[in-house]
This record gives sequence, C-alpha cells and structure tokens, in this order.
Amino acid sequence: MNQPLPAPGVYPEREGGAILRRVVMAAILAFAVIVVGGQAGGVTDNDVIRVAQRMYCPVCENIPLDECHTIACIEWKDEIRAQLAAGRGDQEILDDFVARFGDHVVGLPQDPLLRALAVVVPLLASALALAAGLIAFRRFPRGGERAPTPLAMAPASDAEYRRRLEEDLARRR
Amino acid sequence: MLAEIGLASLALALALALYAVAACLIGARGTGPGWLPSGRNAALLTFPALLLSAGALTLALLSEQYQLAYVYSVTDPQTPALYRFTALWGSQRGSLLFWSLLMSGFACAAIALNWRPQSRLMPYAIPAMMATLAFFLGLSLFVENPFERWWVLPDLPADRQVASTALIPPGAIAPSEANLRAGAEGLNPLLRHFGMVIHPPMLYLGFVGFTIPFAFAVAALAAGDLSSHWLQATRRWSLIAWIFLSLGLLLGGRWAYDVLGWGGYWGWDPVENAAFLPWLVGTAFIHSAMIQEKRGMLKLWNMALVIATFSAVMFGTFATRSGVIESVHSFARSQVGFPMLGFWALMTLVALALLSWRWRRGELRDERPFLNILSRESLFVLNNVIFIALFCAIFWGSFGLPITSELLLGKEVTIGPETFEFYVAPLFAAMYLLMGVAPLSAWGASSLRSLGRSILAPLAVTGLCVLLIMLSGAGLAVALLGYGTALFAGTVALFEIGRGARARNRSLGESMPRALLSLFRRNQRRYGGYIVHLGVTLIGIGVVGSTVFQTERQHSLARGESVQVREYRLRYDDFILARASDGRRLHIAAVTVLRHGGEVARLRPRIDEYPQMPMTIAGAHSTLENDFYVLLISGDSERATFRIYINPLVNLVWWGGVVLALGTAIAVYPKVTPEPRERKREAKPA
Repeated sequence: MNQPLPAPGVYPEREGGAILRRVVMAAILAFAVIVVGGQAGGVTDNDVIRVAQRMYCPVCENIPLDECHTIACIEWKDEIRAQLAAGRGDQEILDDFVARFGDHVVGLPQDPLLRALAVVVPLLASALALAAGLIAFRRFPRGGERAPTPLAMAPASDAEYRRRLEEDLARRR
Repeated sequence: MLAEIGLASLALALALALYAVAACLIGARGTGPGWLPSGRNAALLTFPALLLSAGALTLALLSEQYQLAYVYSVTDPQTPALYRFTALWGSQRGSLLFWSLLMSGFACAAIALNWRPQSRLMPYAIPAMMATLAFFLGLSLFVENPFERWWVLPDLPADRQVASTALIPPGAIAPSEANLRAGAEGLNPLLRHFGMVIHPPMLYLGFVGFTIPFAFAVAALAAGDLSSHWLQATRRWSLIAWIFLSLGLLLGGRWAYDVLGWGGYWGWDPVENAAFLPWLVGTAFIHSAMIQEKRGMLKLWNMALVIATFSAVMFGTFATRSGVIESVHSFARSQVGFPMLGFWALMTLVALALLSWRWRRGELRDERPFLNILSRESLFVLNNVIFIALFCAIFWGSFGLPITSELLLGKEVTIGPETFEFYVAPLFAAMYLLMGVAPLSAWGASSLRSLGRSILAPLAVTGLCVLLIMLSGAGLAVALLGYGTALFAGTVALFEIGRGARARNRSLGESMPRALLSLFRRNQRRYGGYIVHLGVTLIGIGVVGSTVFQTERQHSLARGESVQVREYRLRYDDFILARASDGRRLHIAAVTVLRHGGEVARLRPRIDEYPQMPMTIAGAHSTLENDFYVLLISGDSERATFRIYINPLVNLVWWGGVVLALGTAIAVYPKVTPEPRERKREAKPA
C-alpha cells in the first residue's frame, strides 16, 4: 500500500514535472517583467494624466486624481501607469478601480442606474422646465380676455398713482 | 480682556436682535406707538455691538493672543500681519462672526434708508432681517464661539486638564504663553493668498445682501402690500448683492487658478456650486423683477424667486459648513449641521406659507396678461426658465444625486466636470441666445417681422466674427457655437447702445460722445445692464476658449533641456532650494519661456512645503491671447518634471468680471436727474 521511497539522488517523475513548471513560470514571469518594463517606458506622464483626469482622489473629497499630490494619489497614479503598461485600456482601468473602491472614484458613476440618474435627471428637469414655461404661455389669457382684479389694479407706485389720478381729473375737466 | 469685550458685545448683539424681532412684531400689531421705533433702534445698535465684537477678535489676532482658541488655530508667530487680519474669516468660528457683522451692516443700512419711504413694510422687514441675524449670532455664541480660551484645570484627570471654554471654569489657570506660541497651528496654507483677502468678504456680502430683498418680500407678504413697493425698495440691494456674489465667484476662480495648481478656475466642485446656485436664481430674479416694475406682471413668480434665492443662500451656507458635501455622515457629526438645516427649512417654509396664503386670496394676480411669446416679458420668462433649469441640473449633480445615492443605496458618487459640462453647455448657449434676442423685442408685444429686422444686423456681424474665428483655425463646431452665441449677446448690447446714442445724435444734435454720456445718465439701469451683458459675453468667450482649446502636457526635463508645446518652448535652467521667513521650504525651478525663438518670460514655478501640506504655485506668462501656465511637479538640480498648460483667452474671464462690475456700478449708481435746461431741450420735438 505504501509507496516505496525513492532512492537517494533519484527524483520521481511528478516532482521533476513540478520543477519544470516552476522554471517555466519563472521564465514567463521574467519575460512579463521584461515586456512590462519595456512597455512602461512607453507610457508617458500624459497617458497617466489622461486616465487620472477622469478619477478622483480617494482621500480628499472632490479633488481630481491628476491634481492631487497626496501619497495615496501618487500610488494610484503609479498603479495606473503599471496597468497602462500591462496593456489595459482606459475604461478597463476605470472599471477596475470602481470595482475595488466604489463609484465615487470616477466623475460619472459606472453603475447603470446611477449613471442614468446622473445624466437623465438634469436633462429631464430642463425639458420639464421648458415644457412648464411653454404650457404657461399657452394658458396665458390673450389681451383683453381677463379683466384685472381691483386689487391687482393697485398702482405700482405713488408716482404711477399720481399720474393716473391726474389723467382721471383731466378727463373730468 | 479682549475676549471678555468680544463675548459681551456678541451676547449684547444677540439680545438686541431678539428684542428687535419682538418689539417690531408687537409694534406691527398696533399695541403701542413706541414699540416699532424701539425695535428699529435695537436693530441699528446690533451693528456697533458686532463691530466691537469683531474688532476685539481682530485685535486679538493681530496682537497674537494665543490663549484664544481661535487665534491659536488660525495663526502662529510666523504669520504675516495681512494674513493675521484675514484670519478673521479663515475658519468657521471667525467667519460666522464676520458673516453676522456684514449681515448687520446691510440690515442697518437698509433700515436707515427705507424707514420712512417703506414705513408699511418695516414692521415685518426688520424682524425678518433680525431673525436671520439672531440665528447666526446664536450659532456664534452657543455652538462655534470664537472667544473660547484655553485653560488648564489642574484638579481634573490628566486627559481633561486642558480645555477651551468661553467662560472661565472654577479653579482654571491660563496656560503658559510660551507653550501656546510654540503650539499655534497657523493659517491653512491655501488661504495664504491675496485672493483669499478679498474673495470670502465678497461672497459673504453677496450672500447676506440677498437677505434684504427676501426680508422685504416677506414683509410685503405679511403686510399685504403686494404692489411693487418692495421691489423698488430692494432693487439696488439686489443688484449690490448680485455684483458682490458675481465678484466673489470670479475671485474664487482666480484664487483656484493661482493657488490650487490645476490649470483651471472652475472645477464644478460642490463648494463652488453651492455659491453659484444663489447666483443663478438671483440673476433670474433681477431680470423678472423688471417685468413686475414695468408691467405689473409675475408677482407670484418674483416672490417665489426671491424666496428661492434666499433659500439657496442658506442652503449653500449649510452645505459648505455642515460637512454634508463630504458625506451625510459628517453632516450628522457636525455641530452646526442640524441647526442650519432647521433654520433653512423654517425660513423657507414660513415664506412659502405666506406666499401660498396670499396667492389663495387672489392677491398676487398680474395686472396685465402676456400678449405675445415674442414680447420682451415673455422672453425674460424663457430666460428665467433657463436659469431655473441650470439651477436644477447643477443642484442635482452637486447635492441631489450624491446625497440620495448615499442615503438610499449606500453608495458614494462623485459627479465630475465632464458630466456637468455635458448638460450645462446647451443651457448656457440658450441663455446667451436669449440675452441677445430679449433686448431687441418690445414690451407688450413684438411681431416676428420686427424682431427679425432688429436681429438681422447683429446676427450678420456675429456671423462674420464666427467666420473669421473659423478661418483662424478654431474650427471645432462646439467652440464655434459657443463663440457665436456669446458674441451674439455682446453684439446686440453694442448695437443697442449705438442705436440709442445715434437717436440722440439725430434728434437732439448731440455729439456722439455726449450722446453716449447722456444715454447712460438718462437710463442707467438699462445701459448699465448692457455693459453687464458685455462683461458676461467676455466671460463666455474666455470660458469657451480656455475650456475647449486648453493644452495640457507633462514633461520631465534635464537641466538645460527644453520642450516645445504649441508655439512656446520651455527651457529648464536651474533649481533653487530656499526657506521663506515664515518657515516654509521652497523648491523653485527657474525656467525660460520662448516663443517663435524669442525669449518672452522667465518664470519660477515652485512647490511651497508647509508643515500641513505642500502647495504648487504656478508660474504664468499672461497675454490677452493666452496664458502659458507651468507647474513644478517634482525636481532636483539635475532633473525636473513640469506640467504645462496653455489656456487660450483665459484672461477674458477676469476682464469680463471687471466690465461686469462696471456695468453693475452704472446700474446701481443713484440716478442723475438732468438739469432743467436739458429736460426742456429734450422735450422739444425733433
């Protein structure tokens, strides 16, 4: 039942496979580091700023990431650089940060409901305000349709009152 | 001693304000003839009392009395005298007292000037003003007292031995002066800028100024005098408040541009937006008030707008001071959050209840109907709709959605500039378009044909300008639309001024310069308004240019190396490390800016290292065409990283502000009555 122990200096086939896997992994990692390192050289500050402009500082409220100089922001910008170097697209990077830290790290929520609320509500409010204005115009009585109430006819100022009084008196003379 | 004087006069001011509210309300009921003048006198006395209180705090700041917790928290021995003075509004406690002082000053001036002409409104206007003042004084006295002092209480356990209190606790001894000086915290580095000397007072003046029209509107509703008296009484106050608020916003933008180091002046930050919201409703009110004064229309709407403006002022104050912007949770922890929310809600509800009561009694009906959608009053109403839509959109993005999302979904969200710009840009374009069309239409009714005829010439000039801009290379459709609408508004203003002067020149034989002068003297409000429109046009052009065509680059340069950014070349010359007299370390880069091969400027962008935080101070080469704006990101004597911005036309934003202030000053300036001889001459038929 028990497997015989290998003789000293002789390695079983499975263990030899594990070593090979490790070597291959190390080679892949080394290759990745070389490739990523090479690409990182191609990522410019302007590329990082382009992504950082669409994000917000995790520490300071409402400060865009590209303008913030806190340690947390510097680390995030380094991470953006690394992700860009690894070949990730701008949106992928934003999605990754949102998944890890929440919607408040970007200037427009990624959550579909919140995104819709952020964009549609102001447009809807503008359309409603305009519609309300137009409906109000349609409902305004045309000239002469409504006689002003006696109270509403109160003169706007003493000067106006005096002018009307003088006019009335002149008509009576 | 200064603390005792300040505290006593603050308490006295509160007592006077409360007494003024009670005495005037008793007087309004007709209980006795002496109550009302007594209430007025008490209200007038709040100003000297607060002057004494704020004076005591200022003196304490200037004379380095660090036992006062406020002085300890906003200054230190290295703080220069100017910033010691401005530290009065450098933090919550001092700024609340400063706010109260300005509020009291405005209220006293409004009471003194309107006591006789508006005697019917004063019994209610004074309580409305004094109730607002009393609320802020109550906050100052009981919640955020600027006269609290540090005390050592040897009888208490070690962790509670040092406390700051307004009154002297039993057995307390004063801490050592040397310890206090050594521990003083100093002013927030962001506030050590000349912009901060002027920006907060301007903004506060704008905010408190809008309390006056609100108080008179409430008084009109309470007294039942729903004619245009309250508007006439407050027209100048509204304009003064509006110009202070406008300048406060512009100076805040300039401060952000100079100090915050991000190459821009408006970030759609909730704090900025909180100050912008009252400006939007206030501007709508200033326009629609003209319709009521001239045509007796929009009585209900004007009341609603002035209440909304005051409400927006209170909300803005609440939002920026309560912590609700950071999070609804920090609001709950804030000491002023709940009182401010309560006061804001109370004042708004009381005003709305009065408005609803008068409306249901049919007392706010218009004297004339709207006749035509192309009439000037109809276009003013459309302009109001745009302002309200802007208000709703910006409010939703800044406060509505973030608060709703956090409360209902437990998610924090941030709405960035790109989202705001997406929905406010078309609304601003519509606003500029109406700014152009409305002055050309007539009161009462306008036909499409006559309006079309008036528009033709300004439209042709605008089209020509847009064509020239397009040929100069700025062919982006969004930019052309922006430039076009802004230019149209400005062209109409210029045409209207020219048309008026020409009419005088032809009918009265005045020379053109004299005709222009007479025009402004005869109708300051109208032509001052056109100058304001010109200012807003310049601001619009500046905003479009600096937003759409901004260039931003970041480059790392070795010493002596240079980089080309559009038509400019930046050369990194030297790196200097220095220490300023106030203790901050300065990392300075010396750079040379060249344009088309020739040197145009030597700049010194720098990083100021304060104990609290580093600050990036830009170096800028400004021309009317653009700003070359450079920030030092990091560096040493060998290599430095710079962020370079080229902001086209950005200076038009600031110059537009100057023109806007000039126009408002013309509109507000007391009316110059023409000489009798001149009146006679004008009366002659042409």
